[in-house]
Amino acid sequence: MNETKRVVINPVTRISGFMEIDADIDNSIVTDARTEGLLFRGFEKMLEGRNPFDAVYFTQRICGICSTAHSVASTLALEDALGVTVSQQGRYLRDIIHGCEFLQNHIRHFYQYTAPDFIKLPESNTLFETDHNDFRLPKQKNDLIVKHYFDSLEYSRNAHEMLAILGGKAPHNHGVFIGGITTQATPEKIARLRSLLLNIRQFICDSMIPDAYAVAEYYKEYFEIGRGYGNFLTFGCFDGYERLDTLYVNPSTYSDGRIMELNPGEITENIYSSWYTSRQETYTPFETIPEPDMKKRDAYSWVKAPRYRGLPYEVGPLARMWLCGEYRNGISTMDRTLARVLEAKKVANIMLCLLDNLIPGIDVQKEYEVPQSAYGAGLIDTTRGALGHWIRIENQVISLYQIITPSAWNLSTRDRDNLPGPGEKAMIGTIIRNPDAPVELGRIIRSFDPCVSCATHVYSKGNLIKTMQVVP
Amino acid sequence: MNQTFNSCPNFTTRLETASALVHKAIDAVRQKNIPKRNLIWLELTGCSGNIISLLDGANPDFKSLASQMVNFIYDNSLMAAEGEAAMERLFGMTGGDYILAVEGAVSTKDNGLYNIIGRWKGQPVTAYETIKKFGEQASYVIAVGTCASDGGISAARPNPAECVGIQSLLDKKVIKLPGCPCHPDWFMGTLAYLMLFGEPELDSRQRPLMFYSTLIHDICPRRPYFDQGIFASKLGEKTCMFKLGCRGPVTRVDCPIRKWNDRVNWPIGDDSPCIGCAMFGFPDKMEPFISFDTT
Repeated sequence: MNETKRVVINPVTRISGFMEIDADIDNSIVTDARTEGLLFRGFEKMLEGRNPFDAVYFTQRICGICSTAHSVASTLALEDALGVTVSQQGRYLRDIIHGCEFLQNHIRHFYQYTAPDFIKLPESNTLFETDHNDFRLPKQKNDLIVKHYFDSLEYSRNAHEMLAILGGKAPHNHGVFIGGITTQATPEKIARLRSLLLNIRQFICDSMIPDAYAVAEYYKEYFEIGRGYGNFLTFGCFDGYERLDTLYVNPSTYSDGRIMELNPGEITENIYSSWYTSRQETYTPFETIPEPDMKKRDAYSWVKAPRYRGLPYEVGPLARMWLCGEYRNGISTMDRTLARVLEAKKVANIMLCLLDNLIPGIDVQKEYEVPQSAYGAGLIDTTRGALGHWIRIENQVISLYQIITPSAWNLSTRDRDNLPGPGEKAMIGTIIRNPDAPVELGRIIRSFDPCVSCATHVYSKGNLIKTMQVVP
Repeated sequence: MNQTFNSCPNFTTRLETASALVHKAIDAVRQKNIPKRNLIWLELTGCSGNIISLLDGANPDFKSLASQMVNFIYDNSLMAAEGEAAMERLFGMTGGDYILAVEGAVSTKDNGLYNIIGRWKGQPVTAYETIKKFGEQASYVIAVGTCASDGGISAARPNPAECVGIQSLLDKKVIKLPGCPCHPDWFMGTLAYLMLFGEPELDSRQRPLMFYSTLIHDICPRRPYFDQGIFASKLGEKTCMFKLGCRGPVTRVDCPIRKWNDRVNWPIGDDSPCIGCAMFGFPDKMEPFISFDTT
């Protein structure tokens, strides 16, 4: 029997922020899918007229799980605008702080956000009551990962403790600032950081990576599900050090089987399907901040559509691991998860290298002056992928602040060519085993580690009231 | 690094308040002297950073909270269920006994449509109607963080989503735990106190005195520099950062002794000024956060 079912999942839990998945399922195959964010705060508008230095602490409040990312991108944008060249020691210190966030995020994403999709957690705890029964690991293996779910809390917490040692506190650190960080490394801090880091690395190697491969073994079809476009983009991270060269990945893209150098001039944003209006439907970051417009016809989300050379690109750990050549197994839901846990180990090793190169007692701070007018861009790969902040300063205050987040790339909406965003594309074509419990969709989307707090300067369908949860 | 700068019992005792209360509450639950209460944690119009901060709690920690102290009924970031099944957990508490913890402000623009937290029976459910429905019926309502307490950064000018703190939408008294984010000790200590003894002593702005009775400036380890007029002219210096814009003199909370992330550091310890994130009016009334051109 041929019938189309519309499936709506809202809330998509175990992500940061609010999101709806809206899919059409035809003969057990997803024929159309949309990802929609459900929260609007309007940070870009709020930043206009503020003191440029305040952007570093202000933009962190976009996101509670990846606040450091925003502090790094806004600092890079300010350094670009002020013409400040950061010292190598300043970079090492800042990148160690940033690395702590990778560890914190990846451990929490694997155990607290991803594992409950595949692992049966004790339902005696009300938090873990489930809505499906597709749990396949033998009891012994399942229970070991349950144990690690709880053990992991200590290690993600310790990653934030490391972040606070150099950054004051977490979430929402105080350390990342123009010139590197606010404070100095001391022998005592370096020793404490190393000790915590070695413990975290051991947990990643001995528990998290084996656990991810254990899940993969029992859910093999997820190596075929959720491919997306196979276009990758990174702004680079832990790269281009004067003496250490590139420890991770340079700014680059992958499309049609070719790796190319990134050209930031090719980045645009499009609002064809988004609840915004502007003089231009497609614009470059410095050109305009579109105005919210809830009544726009044919729009279905307030996530905008970032494009590179006019095309959707996937960003994140799999993109980076692919582009640097360390992971080429495949492009799928499970490959994203494996790339993320493997990346955690890689970042831990990079942080050890940076710690080895720290010189205690170096003050990297200066008195900075806000220029009368200037502009700057801060492009950096963060936990979830490529993050860009663009700042324009006029009369010594912020006159324009543009933010394009990793999750905006991954959860982007359709442009005029009707090309779905990477997350939408990854769902389309998926075979759903049980349309009454379409677990596949949430698993695919979570593999992107969406942060809707970030992606949404967003709102969804004010006057568009859609029909029921499952409609025949 | 982990040492407190002062061995005065007034400080050291206060550091143990949260863990002592939580352990006492867990014991009381175990011995069935008090019921294991239901806890609903709503993430509304904000960054979901307070639930992350809660996971950072070391002693007491999240695991003992969620497994031994309360039944954690609903939280968007952590619950295993998704979609309508998740919302069933929330709406299943209608008419029941629960304590409500809320992070994030509430967007009121266009009847709250700027923040939808899920769908129930096919209809979108806004943050606005959720707080109205579950706020008035809760045994206690705790505002976790600055946005829920006072609008916070979500309500920063020009406040595009027309955000407000939750008290302005509720008749029910809200216990406020401002801080961006809220320190895990502040939340867990307050929750344990509520379960054991009922409402703790609050100040005139509904903050528990056990955590919010001291001005940062009054217990700041850099206070002697202020008193002698020795001021930092840039970040990274070890003296008083008053002239860089430090908001310690107006911010009321126990950061200088409690510190963050297993008590390892805090903003002023990181040679950067306090930005008043636990203060009403943050961020607009606390800016500029950093200025180099004050006299």
